Amino acid sequence: MIWHIAKRELSNNLNSLRFALATVLLLGLMLTNAVVHLREHPERVKRYRENVSNHQNHIAAHASNGLYDLAQEGPGNLYKKPSDLRFCAEGGEAFMSDRAQAGYHRWSTGTLKSFWILAYPSATPNRDNVRPEVTKVDWGFIIGYVLSLVALLFTFDSISGERERGTLRLTLSNPIPRHTVLIGKFLGAFISVSIPFILAVLVNLLVISTSSGVHLDAEAWGRLGIIFFVAVLYTGLFLALGMLVSARVQRSAVSLVILLLVWVVFVVFMPSTLASIAGRSTSSGPTYDFSERSWKLHEELSSDYYSSHYKEPEGSTKRIEIDGAYVTKDAEQQERLHAERLNRRIAEVHRARTITRISPVTIVQNLIESFAGTGFERHLQFLENVQTYAREFRTFIVDTDSADPESLHIFGVRTGMSQEPVNPEAVPKFEDTLNLSRDFNTAATELLLLTLFVLVLLSGAYLAFVRVEV
Amino acid sequence: MLTLIRRELLDNLMTFRFAAAVFIMLLLVVSNTVVLIKDYERRLADYNTAVKTHHQQLQEKKTYSAGRLHVDRPPNPLSIFNIGMDKQLGNQVEVYFGFVPTLWDAKMHGSDNPIMNIFSSIDIAFIFKVVLSLLALIFAYDTLAGEREQGTLRLVLTHPVRRGHILFAKYMSAMVCLLVPLLMSVLLAVILLTTSTSISLSTDDFLRMAGFILTTIVYLSVFYLIGMLISALTRRTGTALMLSMFVWGFWVLIYPNMILASILPQPTVEARASSTFNQIEQLWEEFEREQEQYLKNDAVPGEDPGFGIGWVGGSMNRLNKDAATLQYYYKKGFNITEIDERSEPQMPHIQNYYQFLVPLTIDIADRTWRIRKPALEKIYVRPALIDRILLKVSPIGMYDTATQAWVGTDLLGIQDFFSAARQYRKTVIDFFYDKNAFASRQWIAADKGAADWSTLPQFSFQRSGIRINATRALPDIFLLLMTNIVLFIIIFLIFIKTEV
Repeated sequence: MIWHIAKRELSNNLNSLRFALATVLLLGLMLTNAVVHLREHPERVKRYRENVSNHQNHIAAHASNGLYDLAQEGPGNLYKKPSDLRFCAEGGEAFMSDRAQAGYHRWSTGTLKSFWILAYPSATPNRDNVRPEVTKVDWGFIIGYVLSLVALLFTFDSISGERERGTLRLTLSNPIPRHTVLIGKFLGAFISVSIPFILAVLVNLLVISTSSGVHLDAEAWGRLGIIFFVAVLYTGLFLALGMLVSARVQRSAVSLVILLLVWVVFVVFMPSTLASIAGRSTSSGPTYDFSERSWKLHEELSSDYYSSHYKEPEGSTKRIEIDGAYVTKDAEQQERLHAERLNRRIAEVHRARTITRISPVTIVQNLIESFAGTGFERHLQFLENVQTYAREFRTFIVDTDSADPESLHIFGVRTGMSQEPVNPEAVPKFEDTLNLSRDFNTAATELLLLTLFVLVLLSGAYLAFVRVEV
Repeated sequence: MLTLIRRELLDNLMTFRFAAAVFIMLLLVVSNTVVLIKDYERRLADYNTAVKTHHQQLQEKKTYSAGRLHVDRPPNPLSIFNIGMDKQLGNQVEVYFGFVPTLWDAKMHGSDNPIMNIFSSIDIAFIFKVVLSLLALIFAYDTLAGEREQGTLRLVLTHPVRRGHILFAKYMSAMVCLLVPLLMSVLLAVILLTTSTSISLSTDDFLRMAGFILTTIVYLSVFYLIGMLISALTRRTGTALMLSMFVWGFWVLIYPNMILASILPQPTVEARASSTFNQIEQLWEEFEREQEQYLKNDAVPGEDPGFGIGWVGGSMNRLNKDAATLQYYYKKGFNITEIDERSEPQMPHIQNYYQFLVPLTIDIADRTWRIRKPALEKIYVRPALIDRILLKVSPIGMYDTATQAWVGTDLLGIQDFFSAARQYRKTVIDFFYDKNAFASRQWIAADKGAADWSTLPQFSFQRSGIRINATRALPDIFLLLMTNIVLFIIIFLIFIKTEV
């Protein structure tokens, strides 16, 4: 019986104007998305490859100059690997730097040079961009905004419309339980929304996968499958909402007005308003304040250093030790300062993201981001990779130095370290990786939250429909 | 006629959608205004700290050549209405005799967390753009189709009333209904603005707000007429409503985002800038040649620009260049605290040298600017203009440009600040000439008296007058008005011809 009602719904919808409009809209958007991705992505991948080979050349060049040079210069810039699924979610990647600076130099004196530290440059792509700002047309936008609107437009009259025409009474006069009618209608609407969406997704993927410039591996297809599932779940949420309102309200026009206003508040305004309330209340400290603190720390350290440095005779081990302590202490302090600032910024974004989760569109966009390997969570993963690598690199320097019996084992000074040549092959190289299981962990809460929303709304629609007078 | 309007008005005022419209507008505008005012206050505080810090930094400099002058762009209090480019473009630029400051040399003061930009920010114009257009369509969808369905249209037309009058009455009454939530919410926003202690508004600002409201009304009317057109074209209200929503989704959500994504990308900035950058580099090579020439021909043997002087203190000599923004200049400064007794006879020579060098630098900088200005316009501003024109196919684009122009957060409004900064650079150079600073000992050394910054004129930036705002907004308001008229004529023609 359910299928009977679903089929009737479906055939009703397939011939309607809204079905045609939705198909055209979604197809157009998905095609644009694919074309833009094909235009931009090969360029991005090429740039990344160049950057990685620069990083390796950088290490090789300094390794051949000996251990001191390598330890002083550091591994150079470390780059974030662009995700092949960037077309699914832009994720504000433009506002997060695509690199970490593992070799930020600050000063040099006649004999000493500052050691490398891990610094996190900030990306301000808009500072000299005078072009108007628009949202990127990615899957996140298409699903989050357009698909949800389409879902509402398909369900706003599903019950109230039938009541207005009187056919609901006719249907219910048959011996069918009400929940069967409701589920049948839900399935019918669900399939009719899915058809244009699936069509658009297929066209999009067809265009992307036939191109030679972009290569999607098996894992990427798996991720796409999960993203598709998330989209389906999200559509279900808005379908259930539409049916809930439609069951409670007498006229379909009123039902659409209510639905649109709810949609505007939850989808369009909630994310940005809540983010502004959450995020901008605390500031992460002015920029010049940061440089001033950094400078002050260095000043204190160097005045201490100069007072003790000249007391020791030139060339003595004691003096080398003081030199080395100065350099390493400075690098440690500065790196901690940079890490502190980064952590403050991350905490602020975290807070804002937690609060904006009330809006379903944020949930779904976060989910798509984490499975597409873009966005904030991905950036955190990248930063973690970078920090792990930095530790690995430092351990390598220490190990290589302690393997040389002639070295004084004093870091920070050329004469204090091993003079043996370093094999460039042995130096660890940075490679950015993506980890699906980790993504799943961060996404699980959001996935559950979304499912919860769907279930609550569906049971709400059921209760409303059961109690309503026809 | 008045009876008609009254009938329509009563019809509209008692509906659920009217109550919903008022509620939603008040909710969104008030909550966002509070957030936006907070944000503005924070930016203002950042601005004040930056100005103070820069002032202090300048006073600490004991020589003229080491002086670092920064000017800061104050946040625009009306950016609450349309944030435009007020927040995203650089708000601090260095004023230095050796180069002419532009928007592309600006930096950011302030405590922004750059990662927070992943959340989109909103302003009042955005609320109006999205919600008012939606409300206008919700009010319009059944004006004609609804009466036709109920059969009341036939009834009305049996009376001796003109069809044009009916249309006009419907239009007027619905606009009045829509104005209620609009004016109420704007009024509340303005009250919140005026009660905030950190914001002081001038008469011009109130006029600008009036311009903003006027533009909003014209924009609102465009969407109402679009809804009316759909209503005139369709038989059933359900179809009219659904079609309206698709039209709304297309114009508001999809078109602006899709059109900019689908235009063909231009060659990278570097490729377009490279030939101009070569020209600029040649200019500065010429500068170096002239400098060497001078050192060769002056009274002192040798080509040492330091003239072999022994000194203690700090110095800076840096070449700033960036091919993407065509930036190229030398930054040279000394902060000498002590000069070796034996080098004292050399001092006149070095003073002469700077008396020659600095005016030359200024000249080369001005010439660089003459090459750089048209190139920057071509590389950065023209693509932005093309984007804006494409966006103006949608009423959203026209409205956005017009309101930005009113409140002064459009590109021209921001560039006003940089012209003021360029003007200020001239003032600073004049100040140096008046003091004969280049030839003075204080240019490089502070051992015999420090530089005197007290008579340096302060920088102040006044936003452009209301007249200029109005002329900048006018073309788009005109476009919106034209759209109104065209739509009204089309509706009229369709309505005249339809069978009831």
